[in-house]
Parts: sequence; C-alpha cells; structure tokens
Amino acid sequence: MERPILEIIKNIEEIPTLPMVAMEVMTLSKSPDVSIKAISECIHRDPPLAAKVLKLANSAFYRRGTQEIDTLHRAILMMGLNEIINITTSVSVLSVLGTRDKGGESLRIKFWDHCVATGLIARHVDKKIRMKAQGREFVGGLLHDIGKIIFDEFFHEKFMEAHALSIQRKCSMFEAEKEVLGTTHMEVGHFIAQKWGLPPYIADINLYHHQPGNAKFKDITSLISIANLLAKAKELSCGGDSVSFVLKDQEAWHILRKMGYSMDVLDIERITFEIEDIGEEVKTYLSAVSEEPVAEGANG
Amino acid sequence: MADYLPSAAVQMTDETFRLLRDFIYEHSGIYFSDNKKSQLENRLSLRLRANNLPDFDKYYYMLKYDPQASKELRALFDSVTTNETSFFRSPPQIQAFQEKALPEIMERRAEKGEKILRLWSAGCSTGDEPYTMGIVIKEILSEKIKEWDIKIFASDISEKALKSARASTYNEYTLRSVPPEIKTKYFTQSGSQFTVCDEIRMLVELQYLNFNDTKRVKLMRGFDIIFCRNVLIYFDDDAKKRFVAQLYDNLNPGGYLFIGHSESLHNISRAFKLVHFPGALGYKKE
Repeated sequence: MERPILEIIKNIEEIPTLPMVAMEVMTLSKSPDVSIKAISECIHRDPPLAAKVLKLANSAFYRRGTQEIDTLHRAILMMGLNEIINITTSVSVLSVLGTRDKGGESLRIKFWDHCVATGLIARHVDKKIRMKAQGREFVGGLLHDIGKIIFDEFFHEKFMEAHALSIQRKCSMFEAEKEVLGTTHMEVGHFIAQKWGLPPYIADINLYHHQPGNAKFKDITSLISIANLLAKAKELSCGGDSVSFVLKDQEAWHILRKMGYSMDVLDIERITFEIEDIGEEVKTYLSAVSEEPVAEGANG
Repeated sequence: MADYLPSAAVQMTDETFRLLRDFIYEHSGIYFSDNKKSQLENRLSLRLRANNLPDFDKYYYMLKYDPQASKELRALFDSVTTNETSFFRSPPQIQAFQEKALPEIMERRAEKGEKILRLWSAGCSTGDEPYTMGIVIKEILSEKIKEWDIKIFASDISEKALKSARASTYNEYTLRSVPPEIKTKYFTQSGSQFTVCDEIRMLVELQYLNFNDTKRVKLMRGFDIIFCRNVLIYFDDDAKKRFVAQLYDNLNPGGYLFIGHSESLHNISRAFKLVHFPGALGYKKE
C-alpha cells in the first residue's frame, strides 16, 4: 500500500534542494583522491556558502588556535578536509531548512536545540568510547531528524497534531506521526537525505536512529541513537515524549558493546553530569550558524 | 607564615577548577559541572583561608600530596555540602519521583491488590524531604489516599535536626520552591512561619538512626523508594560500598534509590540499574 504523505512529499516541487555547490562538495568528498584544492575551489563558487563555512570555522565552536582563519585553504589545512566537508554539509542543510523560529506554536527552535545537543553529546561520547568518527558524529546528530522539519514546513498542522498526541498518549513522536501522518520522520528524513545526496551514513542515521540494529552504519547510528536519548533526558527534546530509559538496556548499547567498544567501563553518571550545561554550547553553535555571513570573508 | 587576606578575591583558573572537580568526584562521587565553578570557588575560598593558603593551586597540591589531607578532605566535604535542605529540592528528581517512580510502583502494587507503600528518607535532616514526599503522594492520590497504607520513615543522626523535623515549622526561605497552591493546601501560616498540616505529618515517622548501626539498618526492610541524598559523601569508599549494598537489600524488587543530584554510584555499586529520567538519575533494584 502506498503511504500517501510520503508519496506527496516525494512529489512536492517546493521542497528545497541543497545549493548546487554543496552537492558537488559531497560528490567530490566521496572520491578517494580528493584534493584540498578541488574542495576549496568548489566551495568558492558559492561565495555566501564559503563565507558561512569560514565564519563557522572561526567561531568559538570550532576555532582551536588564536589566529584567524582567513582562507578556505587555511581552514582545510588547520581543521582537516573531513571537518570542512562536515561544516559545509551542516551549513548547507541548516541554511536550506532554516533555524529561525517561525513564531506561533512552531517548534523550530526547540527542534534545532535538540539536534545540536544530540550532535554535541555524540561528539562527547565519541571521545569517551574512542570511536573516532572524525566529526561525522556531530553532523550525524545535527541532521538525524530532518524529516521533522519537512513535516513542520509542509504539514505543519498535522505535525502539531502528532506532537499533541504524543504528549497525550505519552508515546513516542514516530508512533504519533505514523497515526496522524501515515509515515514517520525517519522515512521522510531518509528520503530527503538521499534526494539531497547527503553522505549515506546520514541517510542511514535518519532512517534507523530508533532501530540501529537495522542500520548499515551500525556504529555511528548506535552512537546517535544513544546521544538522542541523552539529549532527551536533558529535556532538550522537541517530541512530546518525556522519556525515561536504562542506557545499558538499549539496542544501541549492545551493538556498540558487541563491536568492541568499552561500554562496560564507561562512567555513565559522569557523562550525564558533564553534558548538564550543554545548553550554552548549543546556543554558541546556533548563533554561529544563524548569523548573516560577511561576504568579504569568502575571498580567500 | 604570612597571614593571607580573605580569599574571596582569589580566582580559580579553569584548569584548577577541573583538577579540583575531578579530585572531588573521585573521592566523593559528587560532580561539579562547569556552571558550578563560582559555587565551588566560593565554598572552597573558606578552606583556603582556614589553611592559610594563597591560591587554589596550592590547595589542590595540599589535598593531593599532604599526608594530613584526609582530615582536610572531611572539611572540604562539609564545605561543599553545607547547602541546607529545602522543600521540593532538586525539582527534576522530585518530578521523577512523582511522575515516573511512584506511579510505576503504585500501579504494580494496586494490580496485586496490595495498596501498601513504604518509603525512607535516609538522612532526613530537618524533615523537608520526607514531608515533600508526603505532599507529592497526597497530590497523586488525593482522596484515594485513604485506600492506601503509607509510611514514610525518616531518619537522621542529628537529634537537633530531628527536633526541628518534629516541630515541622519552617520559614519562607525553606519553602521557596513550593508552588503557592501547595503552600496554601498543606501548610498553616502563622506570621512568617509555616507548619506542615497533620494529614502529611501523619504519613511520616521520624526516628534517630546512625548508619553505622548495622543491626538496626538491616531491620529497615521492604522499602519501595529510598531517598538518600548527600549522605554518601561522608563515607570512605569501603563504607560507601557496604552502605549502598545494604540500601539495595533494604529495597523491594522494582524499588528505587535516589541519591543527591550530581552524586554518583559509579565504582560503588553495580547491583542497580541506572535509570535516566528527564533531568535526573535513579537507581532501580530489579
């Protein structure tokens, strides 16, 4: 049976696309012998994008040294190609989806708070278990719920109805979405990630962050699954579900354990306390990506 | 030795904060998150003065390498936990108790046809905690409370604290986190003083108990929920392990232990299941 809303989404012409340059960067990044020069030249063809990437590279969130990073070339040298590709991916998706609150009863700001928190927590846990996901864990967390934004944008009323239902029933958002919209943010997010040519791990995370056992990229999807829960426990959540959970009973936890990560010695309490004041960092990141780019920064 | 000026002006660098924070966590299980830096700075500035030390680096060095450090550690614990108890302290924990732990236990009990609840406020101080527990239960059950057999045991080692708890009269400041409608409902006001009403007082049984009195602690059986907040900090690791193992035995299967917000049982017990509630942690006996 066709799922009507997913079918509608597949045919909505107004669904934005990623900037051409961003898609090219992602294609380039898949090539094993991609050069700094090629990526840098490619990003430069979209000056506003280049400016935003530089701005973020210089923000309190990413900046490591004291010296200003004034060219993309330098940014790549200092931060590594992977991180610049990560930043380009994040900036492009965020600029297309919009991080500003639409006013009224929109959940947009809460939504991004949750996504940034998930990315930050994933980064924190990545360090603890030494997954070395090289920044993909942050992007994966940041972009794990893009289906929800599409719902909010194109099916706002029904999405709000699903949100209210999840609060009333104390059930998860995806169960409520399934009932009200006939599809879930996971399916829609997966579709959009593929349509935009986002890296396959991001599409995978979108589809399977609630069932990491089915994922192809099991390690990073499990990591995001755990980070997602921890972000919700910090009450950085845009769903109606007020969660309680045992981390060690999660499928994601068992997967990572089986894969050889040192889950048994992890001090979960400490991690929980350490992410307590993550709210500030969330704000720092969001203000860095939301600010209007300075055009001259792009001429590097 | 130079007599240093009051150290209120002495700043703690971020690096020293992290060193001290980690040291305290390692020795007490209490965690100071980044936003608590000034709190720790304030509390420890008194210890600097008492030890006649010029800065926090020297204080850290003393804790780490001085043979007398264990004595100072006690004083440090005292100064980092002198936060007085209050009604509805650590709201996310109270919320977890009210919205998750209690309903779960009550449902199971009601299904079995045993409408009995046994709770323990271990280290109840002046009574704010057990009375808060009583108010929360009354709020959940309302008139149906009559169908239940409920007892909240509240114990402390300080007779003075127990005396205050018995008087059950508090000032505005202790009630600062209490919602106005709860205040009107469960307290009688007399001037600037508020006394807990009888229907809540009746739920609470106050008693003197020293946690070192293992025989008596063993007799505390069959609890559904135990609150033991900011108590473990006063024990060394061995004593902590013994006491927490005892608390585990004191609980019914399915029961919950709540320790202080930012307190940890990592390295102390693996018997419990760590449960994440919104903004709070709980330890469940399965």
